[in-house]
Amino acid sequence: MIDKLLDIGNKIVKHAEKLGADESEAYLYVENLTLVKYIGGIVATRGGTFKGVKASFFRLLEPWIKRKGITFMKTGTKAGVGIRTVVNNSVGFASVSSIEEKNALKAVQEAIRTAKIRPPDPNWKSLPDPKQPTAKSGIFDQKVADADPSKALSISAECCISAADFDKRISQAMGGVLIAVVYEGIVNSRGIEVGDKGTASAGFCFTKAKVGSEEVSSGDSLFSRRFVEDLSEIGRSASRRTIECLGGKPLEEKLTGPVVFENITFSELFELMLGSSVSAINVQEERSRYKGKIGELVANEHITIVDDGTLPEGFNTTLADDEGVPRQRTHVVEKGVLKSFLYDSYSAKREGRESTGNANRRALFGPAPFAVQPRVGISNLVLEPREGSLQDLIAEVQDGILVRGSMMGVIHSNLVTGDFSVTATNAFRIKNGQIAYPLKPCSIGGNFHDSLKSVIGIGNDQKCCGFTGNVICPSIVVENLTVSA
Amino acid sequence: MEDLMAKGVEHALTLGSYFAEAKGEDTIQRTLEVINGEVRTVSENRNLGIGIRVFHKKGNGFSFSNVLDMENIRQAAETAFKIARISSKKSLIKLNLKEIKPTVEKKVTNVKEHPKDVVLDEKKDLCLRECKTSSAYSKQIANVTARFAEYYGSIYFLNSEGTKVSYEPLLVGLAVSCIAKKGSTIVDARDVYGGSYGLEVHRQEEHTPETLGENAAKWAVEKLKAKPAPAGKFPALIDPQLVGVLAHESFGHMSEADNVVIGVSPLTGRIGEKLGTDNVTIIDEGLPKEGGYQIFFDDEGVPCQRVEILKNGVLTNYLQSRITARRLKMEPTGNARSQDYSYDPIIRMRNTYFEKGEWKKEEALQELKQGIYAIDTAGGQADDTGNFLFKAVRGYWIENREIKYPLLDVALTGNILEFLKNVDAVCDDLKIFSSPFGGCGKWEQSAFVGDGGPHIRVKEVLFGGTAK
Repeated sequence: MIDKLLDIGNKIVKHAEKLGADESEAYLYVENLTLVKYIGGIVATRGGTFKGVKASFFRLLEPWIKRKGITFMKTGTKAGVGIRTVVNNSVGFASVSSIEEKNALKAVQEAIRTAKIRPPDPNWKSLPDPKQPTAKSGIFDQKVADADPSKALSISAECCISAADFDKRISQAMGGVLIAVVYEGIVNSRGIEVGDKGTASAGFCFTKAKVGSEEVSSGDSLFSRRFVEDLSEIGRSASRRTIECLGGKPLEEKLTGPVVFENITFSELFELMLGSSVSAINVQEERSRYKGKIGELVANEHITIVDDGTLPEGFNTTLADDEGVPRQRTHVVEKGVLKSFLYDSYSAKREGRESTGNANRRALFGPAPFAVQPRVGISNLVLEPREGSLQDLIAEVQDGILVRGSMMGVIHSNLVTGDFSVTATNAFRIKNGQIAYPLKPCSIGGNFHDSLKSVIGIGNDQKCCGFTGNVICPSIVVENLTVSA
Repeated sequence: MEDLMAKGVEHALTLGSYFAEAKGEDTIQRTLEVINGEVRTVSENRNLGIGIRVFHKKGNGFSFSNVLDMENIRQAAETAFKIARISSKKSLIKLNLKEIKPTVEKKVTNVKEHPKDVVLDEKKDLCLRECKTSSAYSKQIANVTARFAEYYGSIYFLNSEGTKVSYEPLLVGLAVSCIAKKGSTIVDARDVYGGSYGLEVHRQEEHTPETLGENAAKWAVEKLKAKPAPAGKFPALIDPQLVGVLAHESFGHMSEADNVVIGVSPLTGRIGEKLGTDNVTIIDEGLPKEGGYQIFFDDEGVPCQRVEILKNGVLTNYLQSRITARRLKMEPTGNARSQDYSYDPIIRMRNTYFEKGEWKKEEALQELKQGIYAIDTAGGQADDTGNFLFKAVRGYWIENREIKYPLLDVALTGNILEFLKNVDAVCDDLKIFSSPFGGCGKWEQSAFVGDGGPHIRVKEVLFGGTAK
């Protein structure tokens, strides 16, 4: 497959040259994807779908019903090519969801046409030059490549069953698996020719519990480069998290104090805010508070942050970034001091330096990578762990809040200023170092950059999380945040 | 394209399925971004492929291919069949389709200046004109980003019952956002106009690049003087854009019948119940005459119906696919849509809006003694119990029936079911918005939608005040 991609890539680059492009680049992408979602049969017995039939009748049937559910499953291959052409220092881009030669060559024409309407970009130097990779490619697990849809369905169903079995109050369970096998090829007119392949799988489970008029929900997920064999623990964990939220009380009064963020909770805020702030292009174009702050203290002195595209198990580990520059390990923040920004070749050449291998085409909730032009993005963003479990972190807090699960409103944070205002639906009151009781949804407001400076605890429970598995971070405690009901 | 689709469907039937359908697509999305007068990004994405959905016994399966030849389409049909067979064994309930009369129809889109006939340079010019107007408005304007986007092409659908339809989707949008700076204060504001129009629409006074550019700049500069909104419960006047997002995010998603079938939606089993005040009517339709994104058929080949979800406060219908309609013994409404050929159809909205009422905006404002006039939103979130959080990006504090001063971004929170009971005035100035910048996300799919409404006044909403 990789040879085929590189072959088409070379044809595209040649064709672009013939049509008058000064430089060109073809990014080819093929993804075999299987997605399974399974809503457990528990819905029928405890959710009240079958109205008018006695509940006792269904209780009798429960063991049977539980093994059945509603399935959503799809599998298919998505392939495409994204083409960058440079004409007179202007970059054009076109993509097509096809790797057939005739469609790809037609897209070359479009890419050149789009380049021609731009004025020359004074900051444009050139596409990247070939460079020897320093690390290995990410994991390719044959088990993922060979996975059968029926296997994926059984895993999802088992996940729901263990979620439902966890507690009678669970009224609904949805479990699922996502399996992806990716082949990539990058060819440019300066001699880059990189092919790579990788596998990934993710498992997730969301559960709800209903007691009287109170309804709570939570979930858990797992990201891996290898095949996710068993999701029953994820199912149980999702249910445990849900049940723990039952009996929530409203926050007595507005509170300004320490907030303990569980790893997965903090990871989403961390991915968006830090990822955006350390992007060199955002710094150059004044969209980052970190401009001019290299060498300065931007976080608590115990915070060390690394972007590591070479991490063996990393969800985003590849031989090269999305424009063919080898992945590397970059120290972003060391002991609280800002060390480096992340660069793709465009932003790097603008400052006369080397790319850090952070060209990225994967867009959060966006189109397929081949339809996206490369820009600066994180590879695997790691917040180095320190010590203590989540329990230990809680024990240090006299009067505060614990937030678990995903928070609402994270994606609407202000990435330029760092201001956020989020709603926590899985929150707990901490008193005297212990969880006192669950809270009804409450809102937390603050500034991310101020928060990094006000971190008073970093745990050792690092987990691969974030929106798409690109962040590895532990639970942390931030002082002086405002929480209101 | 349609030949290949027909062969895929035929092949699925020979494998033993009782029903099969195919969606074919050849569409183009083009975007242009101009920052401070300089063309920053131009991109074009062509999306073509075929998706096949197959029903077998109690289950169904979906697969797709973007290699358009016989071998790959047959392969897709076989994979879909295989999935249907596996699903069938695990299925609790039979997911089959409500019978519909087969439709054979081909809709073409005729507009004066279709973007496919307009050269890229003219579209660039629209963006440059926005930038020019915004930058010239004030020295405080530090940054102007103008964007143009278009989406058009052909969508085909056919199934084994004889339905064969096609239409030409079209969606264009022109947007501008400005950042204004004064000392250490940085604020932003934007304006956007879009829908299923030809580019001639930007010659109308209200929608010229100059008008959009001036609005965004004016609002940004005004915000430099804005004060934080007080936190707490206040009466509010809400503008059509924010009303539209409320209709869509909060109420619309709850009315999707897939969530009703599995009992997740708070609207489950409540048809006929009075949920809002008499003046609240909420519609979802494919072809509203007031604008938005025009959709002729859904991706099950069902003509898009006008659905009155809420009529004078009473819940009257859900948004249906053929599968949910069968389960709930109701009628399909043409709401089964997929992001593109590579996704199976799920229940999605089309254009969701509050129907207009009789109040004049000035009258509604006159009777508001003290409160907040909340305008537009950069987005928000809503959960499936109806709780919502939206950030209004513009707003004004009202006291003694007068607009007193502009407000900084302010968050509105609450539950839509309570909100509907608090609506006390619905104005007559209905507007419907849509644009190809982003779309609505549900599960892992994104879809273009429209939303809107008139100005609406509510007795009280909880405003979150500032983040700090």
